[in-house]
Amino acid sequence: MAKKRLSEKQAGYLMVFPALLIILVIAIWPVVRSFWISLYDVRLNDPTKSQIHSSYGIDLERYANGFPLLKSNITKESQEVEPPVAKTLDAVMQSIQSADQELRQDQKFADQYKQVDDLLFDYKPVPEDLKFFDADKQKAEKLKQTLQDADKQLLDLANNKQLKHPDDVLGVVRGMEGSIIEPNFVGLAYYKQFLSDSRMWSSLGNTALFTVVSVVFELVLGLWIAVLINKQFVGRGLVRAAVLIPWAIPTVISALMWKFMYDGQNGILSHLMWQVGLISDPAVLLTTKAGAMFSTIFADVWKTTPFMALLLFAGLQTVPESLYEAAEVDGATKAQQFWRITLPMLKSSIMVALLFRTLDAFRVFDLIYVLTGGGPANSTETISIYAYKTMFAQMEFGAGSALSVLVFLCVALISMGYIKILGADLLGDNSGK
Amino acid sequence: MMAVTMVGCSSTKESDKSTTDTATKEKVKLVFARGKDSTGASTKLVDAFKKSHPDIDVELREMPSDSNQSHDQYVTMFSAKSAEIDVFDLDVIWPAEFAQAGYLLPLDRFIQQDSIKTDDYIKGAYTAGSFNGQQWTMPKFIDTGLLFYRTDLVKEVPKTWDDLIKVAKATKGQGGTQFGYLMQAKQYEGIVCNFVEFAASYGGKIVDDKGQVVINNPGTIKGLSKMIEVAKSDFVPSNITTFTEQESHTAFLEGQAPMIRNWPYQYAMAQDPKQSKIVDKIGVAPLPAGDAGSAATLGGWLAGINKNSKHPKEAWEFLKFMTGKEGQKITAIDGGSAPTYLPEYDDADVQKASPLFANKDFVNGISKAVPRPTSPQYSKISEVIQIEVSKAIAGQETAEQAVQAMETKMKEIVK
Repeated sequence: MAKKRLSEKQAGYLMVFPALLIILVIAIWPVVRSFWISLYDVRLNDPTKSQIHSSYGIDLERYANGFPLLKSNITKESQEVEPPVAKTLDAVMQSIQSADQELRQDQKFADQYKQVDDLLFDYKPVPEDLKFFDADKQKAEKLKQTLQDADKQLLDLANNKQLKHPDDVLGVVRGMEGSIIEPNFVGLAYYKQFLSDSRMWSSLGNTALFTVVSVVFELVLGLWIAVLINKQFVGRGLVRAAVLIPWAIPTVISALMWKFMYDGQNGILSHLMWQVGLISDPAVLLTTKAGAMFSTIFADVWKTTPFMALLLFAGLQTVPESLYEAAEVDGATKAQQFWRITLPMLKSSIMVALLFRTLDAFRVFDLIYVLTGGGPANSTETISIYAYKTMFAQMEFGAGSALSVLVFLCVALISMGYIKILGADLLGDNSGK
Repeated sequence: MMAVTMVGCSSTKESDKSTTDTATKEKVKLVFARGKDSTGASTKLVDAFKKSHPDIDVELREMPSDSNQSHDQYVTMFSAKSAEIDVFDLDVIWPAEFAQAGYLLPLDRFIQQDSIKTDDYIKGAYTAGSFNGQQWTMPKFIDTGLLFYRTDLVKEVPKTWDDLIKVAKATKGQGGTQFGYLMQAKQYEGIVCNFVEFAASYGGKIVDDKGQVVINNPGTIKGLSKMIEVAKSDFVPSNITTFTEQESHTAFLEGQAPMIRNWPYQYAMAQDPKQSKIVDKIGVAPLPAGDAGSAATLGGWLAGINKNSKHPKEAWEFLKFMTGKEGQKITAIDGGSAPTYLPEYDDADVQKASPLFANKDFVNGISKAVPRPTSPQYSKISEVIQIEVSKAIAGQETAEQAVQAMETKMKEIVK
């Protein structure tokens, strides 16, 4: 019996196993998945690349949508055009039809085609597992060649103005070309592309500028507020609660609020700053590079300083009062107490707060998306906004994933830097004990 | 009927179809999504449909008023193969992209089955919904850039851009105005529309008939220079680069400017005493001309069916109603938007709704509007224009440099 019992160490591992599993699923899996997608040319606006394809195949939904239509369109067209043109059209149709026949000799293809066709006829969505037919490379390439030849012949006819409805025949052939799936693995091509992309570097630069400036201001102001609300004074509870208000407002709402205040026509803040002489025109806050950058940083500092203050305040409360009393007795000034006692005792709290805020600021999205949308002329576009635009506005999921992985790498580097400093300080102490 | 329209199908289909028909007798609920509608026409339209089709219920769902944001939300939803929306509105520039992505149900079979007369629709608006030989959307209303002006302030309507600059300078400050002219210059789709108009009025072109990038030509450069001149002048609001339609029409309705470039809906809105201070004081004219005449961007909205919709047949009934005679009449009268269904312009009630609709020149002019490039890559092309034109207006580069940069980047996209 005793032998079978787990050792203490093994039991410990067993206990943390569920936690490890959860970390694996919710933290590591998405990163791995993003990296995997970034190796493929996945873009939704191209039907042959709408997902990861590692082998050749035929998109039966598109094929079954196009083929009968092509037949009827070509038949219609050949009745309306000159006889020699009609002859070319027939030949084109003949070649496509024989390619189709060849495919249908495969019983599996024919069955699957019929199933898909039935669904389409009832306007029912085609399920994923029926949609794609795994064809071998040779067959897929042959079909592609046939369709491309047809495309070329029809294009010649269309350019010579010999077709009555060129879009009806040519378009459908092009639609059918979109049914041939080729592997879309591109390896690290996206990373290579982005590393030499000036827009990526400028968005990274914007992100870095935003992060450094806003975090520095937040730290200084946050520390100041924390020390302040740590003191005894009348109405301290009220102040402590009030400080938290900016942090409690959802970012999107506070961003809209700031947008109205910065507005060049009716904005109160821009108007005040203009009257005081800080800016030359109420409009500069949102329409110039420097103005827009200032505006986003200012709004972010306003919003997240309370968070910083709260973390540092928690740290302050762990500093024993006796240290200050002893310093007092020794005749240390308030400034000396702050530099010699408060700051060193707060060091790990500050590092943790900085780590949180730097990572948060580096991934900033909602505030800037609402406030400036990345403008004017991309001068406040951060790397997250660039990734979002690539993915959702341009539907390039492969490229967008590559950008996300780059964001991840930057974030990982930053955290490693912090943890190194922290570890020497905090973790090092613990293991020494 | 179905068997005729679908070549190469076996006859067993007929029986399949009738069984599904009997199965859907109970009340079906559709969801119709569109951008924010401040006119209330959509609610009326839905109510009218529900009245005439008691077995179909329709829920109206509003999307953001910024069309770029709507676009991104649709992409998120449809990429996940969501069936929560059945029918939705599309900007004229989306069909190629959405068709390629497989978000839309092709409508050809429905159109043939119900023998819709496609010649009754304005050609440009109808073909905006066709891609690769198939029809993906039906046109709902058509838009084109127009010049609206205050009849009490502008005595002589400017015919050219240079006239406009003169008139704007002269009228700025008169009658309580603060500006001389309003346009859309925020970095979003609207700046592309304004740019296309300036460029085309000086003979510039972006993409030719064969899909080749031809943007780098003297016309485009001249048009862009003129646009920069206007956008940087002191007669437009100094924060014009944050203006979308919303900001510009608000300023116009408040009586802050004598002239504005906007879409046809502006007229009905300016005549609404509830939100406008300039009722009965506005006139409308074609946009000013450059060296190559006047040009207006083709805009407008289409409607299509989500491919994953659970009720495609009912969705088609709604789509047909909305883009047909009755639906477009409601959109024209209550929404102030120009119908794409040509017989509508002969309808006395529609003619009364806006002086534009009774004006033959407007109807002819709208058919000649300049379309933006049709391409599944349109979003990318548009983004290039948005960024470079914004940079040029911000003074970060000259018109020549901007056009050159656009050429290089577009060629990379289209290659």
